[in-house]
Amino acid sequence: MDKSPSITATVRPRRLLRRYVFSTDHKVVGLQYFFLSLAAALTGTLLSLLMRIHLIWPNLALPFFGTIKPENYLAYLTMHGTLMVFFVLSLVPQSGFGNYFLPLQLGVSEMSFPKLNAAGFWISLLSFLILIAAFFAHGGAPGAGWTQYPPLSAIATSGPGQALGTDLWLVSIGLFCLAAVTGSINFITTTLKLRAPGMSLMRMPLTCWTWFVTAILSLLAFSVLAAAVLLLLLDRNAGTDFFVPAGLIVSGTAVHHTGGSPLLWQHLFWFFGHPEVYIAILPGMGMTSHLLSVFARKPVFGYRAMVGSIVAIGFLGFVVWGHHMFVSGMNPYAAFAFSTLTTAIAVPSAIKTFNWMATLYGGHIRFTTPLLFSVGFVSLFITGGLTGPLLAQPALDVYLHDTYFVVAHFHLIMAMAGLFAVFAATHFWFPKIFGRMMNERLGALHFWITFAGAYAIFVPMHLLGMAGHPRRYSELTGVQYVAAMVPLQKWITIAAVVTIAGQIIFLVNFFWSMFKGAAALSNPWECSTLEWTLPSPTPHAGFAARLPVVNHGPYEYGVTGREADYLMQDAEA
Amino acid sequence: MPTISSPPKERTPGLGGGGPGKIPSRRGYGGGDDGDRRQPEKFLSYQNRLRRYRIGVALFSVCVSMLFLGIASVYVARQRIPYYDQNTQAFISTWKAIHLPYVQLWINSILIVAGSITLELARRGQIKKAEFASMGILPPSLEREVPWLAITLLLGAGFLAGQLLVWNNLRHQGVYLRANASGAFFYTLTGLHAIHLVGGMAVLVYALLGSWFRRRFESQQIAVDATGWYWHFMGFLWFCIFALLHFSRA
Amino acid sequence: MAVALRLALFLIAAACACLFLAHPVWFPAGVSAQSAAIDHQFALAFWILGGLFLAAHAVLAVSLMRSRHSGQPRNSHGDWRMEAAWTLVIAALFFGFNIAGVRLWSKMKFQQPESNAIQVEVTGVQFQWYFRYAGADGVFGHVDAQRFARPQEGNPLGLDPGDSDGKDDIVSTALVLPVGRDVDLTLRSQDVIHSLFIPAMRFKQDAVPGMSIHAHFRPIKTGAYEISCAELCGIGHYRMRAVAQVVSDEEFQRWLKAREVPK
Repeated sequence: MDKSPSITATVRPRRLLRRYVFSTDHKVVGLQYFFLSLAAALTGTLLSLLMRIHLIWPNLALPFFGTIKPENYLAYLTMHGTLMVFFVLSLVPQSGFGNYFLPLQLGVSEMSFPKLNAAGFWISLLSFLILIAAFFAHGGAPGAGWTQYPPLSAIATSGPGQALGTDLWLVSIGLFCLAAVTGSINFITTTLKLRAPGMSLMRMPLTCWTWFVTAILSLLAFSVLAAAVLLLLLDRNAGTDFFVPAGLIVSGTAVHHTGGSPLLWQHLFWFFGHPEVYIAILPGMGMTSHLLSVFARKPVFGYRAMVGSIVAIGFLGFVVWGHHMFVSGMNPYAAFAFSTLTTAIAVPSAIKTFNWMATLYGGHIRFTTPLLFSVGFVSLFITGGLTGPLLAQPALDVYLHDTYFVVAHFHLIMAMAGLFAVFAATHFWFPKIFGRMMNERLGALHFWITFAGAYAIFVPMHLLGMAGHPRRYSELTGVQYVAAMVPLQKWITIAAVVTIAGQIIFLVNFFWSMFKGAAALSNPWECSTLEWTLPSPTPHAGFAARLPVVNHGPYEYGVTGREADYLMQDAEA
Repeated sequence: MPTISSPPKERTPGLGGGGPGKIPSRRGYGGGDDGDRRQPEKFLSYQNRLRRYRIGVALFSVCVSMLFLGIASVYVARQRIPYYDQNTQAFISTWKAIHLPYVQLWINSILIVAGSITLELARRGQIKKAEFASMGILPPSLEREVPWLAITLLLGAGFLAGQLLVWNNLRHQGVYLRANASGAFFYTLTGLHAIHLVGGMAVLVYALLGSWFRRRFESQQIAVDATGWYWHFMGFLWFCIFALLHFSRA
Repeated sequence: MAVALRLALFLIAAACACLFLAHPVWFPAGVSAQSAAIDHQFALAFWILGGLFLAAHAVLAVSLMRSRHSGQPRNSHGDWRMEAAWTLVIAALFFGFNIAGVRLWSKMKFQQPESNAIQVEVTGVQFQWYFRYAGADGVFGHVDAQRFARPQEGNPLGLDPGDSDGKDDIVSTALVLPVGRDVDLTLRSQDVIHSLFIPAMRFKQDAVPGMSIHAHFRPIKTGAYEISCAELCGIGHYRMRAVAQVVSDEEFQRWLKAREVPK
């Protein structure tokens, strides 16, 4: 009976495989997710680069890729969306940083179900590999967009990539749903049941709050996506007709299905898809709140309002999916409800924005790289967010739907803001993870390029959309008024190339600092939350040897009458 | 209440956690709730772990419910929304009602409820025993619960066999997965339910054979407890599916 | 760094504002009855949201200034009165805007087209739009794509050769419309989802297979306006183009006459 493995748990496994690969340690799992996302982000970025180049120079023969054909463009676009939404924006902020820092910030040394946690990562990895395999399938990767609207995605003859590639896509996303669900069960149980003594819910850092609420969102949303994926797989392979209507004739051949409805997929997909947006951005909001407070040396302005707005955004995220379907043929009466509910989401978002600025106001701000990226997040969140109430109006959305305006909107608010939060968090937690500091100069340089780049790429896209440029056009020659927009597209491509090149600075900084960076103190940013009470890098045992007892809220900065201007959460009362 | 000023004390790791990479036993998990410290440490840790697994099962049930709700909403919508037929230029419904084999379905319902009861007996017996075992009164083994678990497994297998018979019956009626949407939904819903039940049975097998895998008694107990709740949920889900299939036939 | 960041925020806000004021590309001129109201709503949106954008960036830049005086305690955890005031202001603004938008929507969608509206059936096929007019009898003929569709024989929609109603149906690849008259579109699709997008009319509607969706608008100016597809429909999505020809009523009648097949 005493073969129990728990005895050895606080000792770091000696073998490399057990230490870094087949580990159930939440820190290792978090890092595994981080590097998986990095791989996905690099692939996705490469795809976006190829797409931008193809739009401007359609006949350019690239080394290794050759000339990009329209079907390749559609495959890149689908895979770019899938990789970025699922494997980057849902994984890094939540599964990557969340796995690493949720237990540490709660003052415990392990997630609630460590094996399940590790299994979640391995399922995600499998899902990633299956997705990448779609590139090599006969016909190539799917080309129906990451939203996979049937019948385009349901009928194998509707285009190249709609055969085996789409099946692989569906299997991959089904597995991803499973992994996401295991992860969120873990997060919720850990937050509810494993907290250090004294760590009441209202003493949790806002990062933990967002990870918690995001876990609830992904538990509910990914289950529904799993149902949708399953039904579509059955439609494709078992001859059922959930989503494929009768009487279709695709590529000259009759399709024998008997009367499903494509709109049902859209409802199921967006019931997942809209919460997914918040799954991607909520952890970013939490990190930004956290970092702004740390570097402004001021408590978060209106902690309770922040928690309330996180919960409100999470809840409202489930009742607005129809705003993706204003022109889909959905009953126009439904648009009233969805439009108003969507506008309602702007209110908690505005509360957060206001509180971020109020947190900064009057602070003794330290202009470190994490702060720069956090301010960048706020700026991009404002810019991307303000077009939200506009798109929420069915009358205006009719014109803007599926144009570059929407592309600009969600890239700014979800992709760019989300990435800025990730960059900020990487710089911020790097010392805790690797025991070394990232280079501040390179960090700042990277910030300036990326910040300017994000605006230079995506703000002009609003104009394209307003001029009626539909998205997902693989070439600009098909429609005359679109052809007139090539100059602006060219500008966007150049900005994108420069910005993407700028990301090399980040990679260099990251890997160089990992081995050669300046050694970090245990609390280099003078931050008050529990993970900074541990030495850097975090010892394998975490809090196993030393139990924190929480006596204070998470954001006690700017206190007077002490030698430091902050109070650690576990400082004596 | 331990504070940081007291010297950090190494404790012998208890039986907490859920795998290797384990949580050493600890007092006061969960928001400063450390009122039961007079209880033996190991038991506390077991209790905490049990509670976490129960939450885990509850959350998993929520997730499975969402999966089925997603399909059920498509079911209702697909059945009610007529589609536009280009042949007749009219809105028509192609839904074909299924003649449900009620007798078989009710027998299966009884089987799954009976499984719930026997598993509940095992679960309760085992909970009592955990307390006694923690006091050293009873040996930590599942001996008395083994028959109940075995019977539950048999009932579960019976349910699955019953479902197979139901599917066979429908097959003879000409209801196939690809023939009509009603059949597709029937097989999808019941098939998914069966797959989920098989998952529960696998955990039960794990609990039964736990001692062969050299699992600790607590792990077996938790497996039985978690499966118990899961089985009740599966029964509930079954009746929901049954009700959906019955009340929304045509 | 502090100054640089503040400067950058100002510069970016200014650059965005300039870009939108200069707008190298912009909305095509609106030529449908609803476009004036939609453009007005757009203008309202840009003034409200653009103002908020500039104000927010200004406030953000100002909050990055290091406080010189220590008037307010730094360890302040917030002020619910300020919070509530801000929330109410922003909610009033957004919901006011929302109410205006919802009224516009009901005007667009819940007013029936006039009784003399011209009926056009739009069918999306990978990668071509077809527009069908009922012809002299005003009745659309029976269509069965799976049985009769022969694009190379001039019957891409699958008009039933045995149905007399369909004999005089006119199938065109251009959407020819008389000016000043409501047009009631019935959108269909033969294969996958397409979306009929006429930017100048401020009109967009998905054509979903298995559904028959009605939408209407009224062109108010003659001319040729491009139609594109706005829902990814496959490889040729980018070239699924058509033209809406808005002509005078006489010209429209002439056009119909020229295509009429004697019964």
